[in-house]
Order: sequence, then C-alpha cells, then structure tokens
Amino acid sequence: MSVMYGDATVGALQEEQASLKSRLQELQRRWRELRALPYDQVPFQAPAVPLVFRGHTQQGQEAPKWLVSKVRIGYPLSGGSALVTFDDPKVAQRVLQQKEHEIHIEECRLRVQVRALELPVVTTIQVSTQVSRRSVLVSGFPAGLRLGEEELLDKLEIFFGKTRNGGGDVESRELLRGGVVLGFTKDAVAQYLCRVGQFTVPLGECKCPVRVSPYLSGEIQKAEIAFWPVPQSVLVLNIPDVLDGPELQDILEIHFQKPSRGGGEVEALRVVPPGQRGLAVFTATSG
Amino acid sequence: MAADEDNKKVLKEPWSDEGFMKDEQRERLIDEIAKENIQLKEEIQRLEAELQEATINSQIKENIPETKVKFTSLENPENDSQFLNISCSFQVSSQVPYELQKGQALITFEKEEVAQNIIRMGKHYVKIKDVDVEVLAKPVPLNSGVRFQVHEEYSTVKINVTDIPDGLPEDQMRDKLELSFSKSINGGGEVRCVQYDKQSRSAVITFVETGVADKILKKKDYPLYINQNCYRVTVSPYTETHLKNFQVFSGISERTVLLTGMEDLQMMDEELLQDLVNIHFQRKANGGGEVEVVKCSLGQPYMTYFEEERNGMV
Repeated sequence: MSVMYGDATVGALQEEQASLKSRLQELQRRWRELRALPYDQVPFQAPAVPLVFRGHTQQGQEAPKWLVSKVRIGYPLSGGSALVTFDDPKVAQRVLQQKEHEIHIEECRLRVQVRALELPVVTTIQVSTQVSRRSVLVSGFPAGLRLGEEELLDKLEIFFGKTRNGGGDVESRELLRGGVVLGFTKDAVAQYLCRVGQFTVPLGECKCPVRVSPYLSGEIQKAEIAFWPVPQSVLVLNIPDVLDGPELQDILEIHFQKPSRGGGEVEALRVVPPGQRGLAVFTATSG
Repeated sequence: MAADEDNKKVLKEPWSDEGFMKDEQRERLIDEIAKENIQLKEEIQRLEAELQEATINSQIKENIPETKVKFTSLENPENDSQFLNISCSFQVSSQVPYELQKGQALITFEKEEVAQNIIRMGKHYVKIKDVDVEVLAKPVPLNSGVRFQVHEEYSTVKINVTDIPDGLPEDQMRDKLELSFSKSINGGGEVRCVQYDKQSRSAVITFVETGVADKILKKKDYPLYINQNCYRVTVSPYTETHLKNFQVFSGISERTVLLTGMEDLQMMDEELLQDLVNIHFQRKANGGGEVEVVKCSLGQPYMTYFEEERNGMV
C-alpha cells in the first residue's frame, strides 16, 4: 500500500516540476523579449491619435524626433521694473549697449538699469518609462461621445472608485488623447482591473464598454537647461518710486522711442509699479 | 544518536528488505523534488513580479529644438510659487516616421472623407505620358509615438551648492554656509534657510530676495570661508522638471493616403509625377478632392514624418 502511494507522489511531484519548468521558461522568454523591446513596440494599449503628413521629409535618418508646441514661459517681475518689447531686435540690442539709462522728466532725471532677457528652458531630456503599478489606462470610448473633459473624468472616477465595481480609492486622474489614466492608492486594485479588462461604464447618454489596460508611465531622469534669448525685449530694473503707474508708463515709452537715446518703435511696454508683482508671459511665435 | 546511525547503517546493508530501501530512497527523492519545486515556484513568483514592474529603459533621450519666443502679456502671479520661479511648460509629441519606398507616394487630402473614399476605391488609373498606370491606394501603416507635457520650474531664490569640503560637523557647516552666502561683498544676500547634506557634500541655499541667486550664478563657484581658509564651492541653478499627461499612442493617418505601384516610372522626374498625381486626385470625377501635399519617391527612399493634427485636445 505504502509503495503505491509513494510512487504516485513521486510521479505527481515530477509532473508538477515539469509544468513549473515550462512556466519558468515561458516567463524567462518574455523577460528577455521585454528587455529587448524599444518603447514603441511594447504590447500595451496605445490609443489612436490621428496624424498627418505635411510634407516634412528628410533623407538619411537624422531628423529631430520631437515636435514642440504650446511653449509658455512665465517670468516673474518685481515691483519697480518694466518690460519693453521693440518691433526691431536691432533696436533692443542698441538700447542694451548702455547698462544704465537716464530718463529726463522736466528737471528730474530717473536712473534705471536695462538688461537682456534670457529664459531658462529645458533643452535635453532623458525619460524613462515603466509599467505603472498603481495606475491603469481606460480607453476604447465610443466615437462621438459628447462629454466635457471634467464630466468624463468625474464619471470614470465615480465608477472605478467603487469597490463593488472592482475599483478602489482613486488617487489621481489625467486626461490623455483617446484615454484616461486613473491612479489608485492600492496596487491590487490596478492589477485586478487590468485582469478583468472590460467594463461597462455609465457615461451620460449611454452605458459604454471601455477597456482597462496597464499604463506605461514616463518620468524625467535628467533634464538640461539652456538659456533662450528674447531678442526683441529688454528688462528695465530699479525704477525709482517717484511716479504713478500710468505716468511712469508714458515717460518710459517716450524715452525708449527716442532714436537719440538709441530707442525705436515700441511694440509693447508693461510696468510693474513698486510694491507690486508681475508675471511676464512669453509664448512661441509659431506652431 | 549512535543507535539511529547504527540503524541507518543496517538499512544500507545489501541484504536489508528491498521494500524498506525503496521507501527510504523514495522519501529522499520526494524531498528533493519537493525542494526543487519550491525553488522553481519562488523563481516564478519573482519573475512574475519583475515582469509586472518591467522597466523598459529609456529609449527617450532627445534634444528639444530651440523655439523663438516673444512677450505676450503681463499677468498677476497667482501664488508665491509663480513668483519665486521662472516656469516653463510645453507640449512634446513624436514625429512618427514612415519610410517612403521607391515607387510609392503620399498624398494628403484636405478632407478625411475624400482620403477614406480613395482608399475604399482601391485601384486608380492615373494617366502618365499616355499610359494608364495602375496605382493602389492604401492606409499608411504607422508606428507608435509618445506625447507628454514638460513642466519646469527654475528657482529665482534657491541655488544648488556642491563640492562642499568635509571636516566639520553638520550643524557647524550649515552655519558656515549661511555666513558665507550672506556676504554681499561676494555677491551673497540674506539667507532664508540652508538645507545641507553632509553625505553628498551638497546643499540648497534659499535666499530672501530674488536677484541674489542670479548674481551668484553668473560664476560657476563661490567662496566658502571656514576658519582662516577659503574654499571654492560649485554653484548651479535649482530646477525641478516633471512630466504630465505622458502617453504612448498609435498613429493613424486619416487624411494621408499611401499610393503604390509606380516602380516602373523610375526614369521620370519626381516633381512632374507629383504634379500629375496631384491633378488626378483633385478631380471629383476620380473620387478625389482638394489636395494639400503630394510626395513621390522614385529614385531613392525618403524618410517622411507624420505629425499630430493641429486641433487635438490636451
């Protein structure tokens, strides 16, 4: 009796080992594959984004891979300063040749300093990507779904925030093109939702089938800063506190338009009166 | 113990009961296999966890091309952070490449419906030099790309200090840093606080006024006074950069169509062919419509770049 039982046990264990070994080999193969894959061949759900060919071609393989848009730079200005933007960058250069300017108002002279503007901008970045443990990508929304951004985010957060739907506490939410990223407080929730994969979520006018899949997140590893010039603009600093806002604006404009003072046509002049704070906004001129 | 050993010795005797020996060996075999299985299970668990956390190492290391910027408006800073930092943000999107082979062409229509119709029609006969050339219209197969927003904050009141000499206890070094960076004679100014990490020999100095950091950063180093000695420590800007709305996307071309079948026209002038293709596909009678761009490849392949449609969200 004990002999037969013993043999069966050995047999069963050997079978188990065979299946474990094959599972292990499968995982090792996937691990090797994954490490060799560049990010753009990762088998993740990648929502479709419409692209178009506008005639941009290059012979050879060296072309900038990125398109940059919606550049916005906010530059704080302290009280007692101003920003002058000339039509012609050459005028700005000329004005900058003198570090100090004397502005004549009747019998008084206002001494101010001028400086070129250089904006610190990220120019080289290194991004590492990783499968997120706590976030999932919700995608596959029906075309023509008419919901505002906030509404969509709210409805998804409501649905996936409920444990009875398989969800849990939502920590973060982000709108992407063709999808939404939901971040949970617990790994297990994200994992479970990805395993289930398909859900029917009430989104306003319909109960829509949506897809939940792992989210590949990106993080900056390194960023290098370079300084971009603003050729048409000049910073005016240390303006003495002797005039009211509108008066000061006029006086400065008159001064910087005088060719005798090296000035020229002024496109815009903004003053930040003493005691106040301003934020000068710069945006890209094209694209 | 000795008795057990004796027993074992007895069991190993060749004349001992076969059944017993088999049991013993079997026990050992079972033990062995069970142990191996446990190890296999552990390895499997470990690999499963690692696959779950797979870090695909950054294939993304790129230069951001310089863009011309201009003054747009003066606003009120909403909070302290907006005032204490120069902030910069922009959207980055991959230009997805498609290698146009010899005998192929890309044609971008103004309207999506026209492009889809041309694809649906499949075969087209374009008259080139009195010959009807059969041209096939297909969707353009595109790879995936990434898009994200970059947000950067460049502090106007903080600086990074590195290469700080060792040799003083933490608290004292912190004081020395504060004293040296307060000296206006060296370009310093009133210090709000000092965060010092002895191990990495680095610190972050926060000044009360804006403008001090700027002045100090005009040079790469700064004098630190410890007792009678002067050390030069390295100074650099304090910046924070992070990404938002990162996503991988798969490119689909809605308005651009791939045309194939022109391999035999290699002797032709590319520009002439482009004009003929353009004219053909502008005609409603041919199923076409307003054309934006045509690019043909005859003599050599071209790398073409697809970009996001302008009126996208986010």
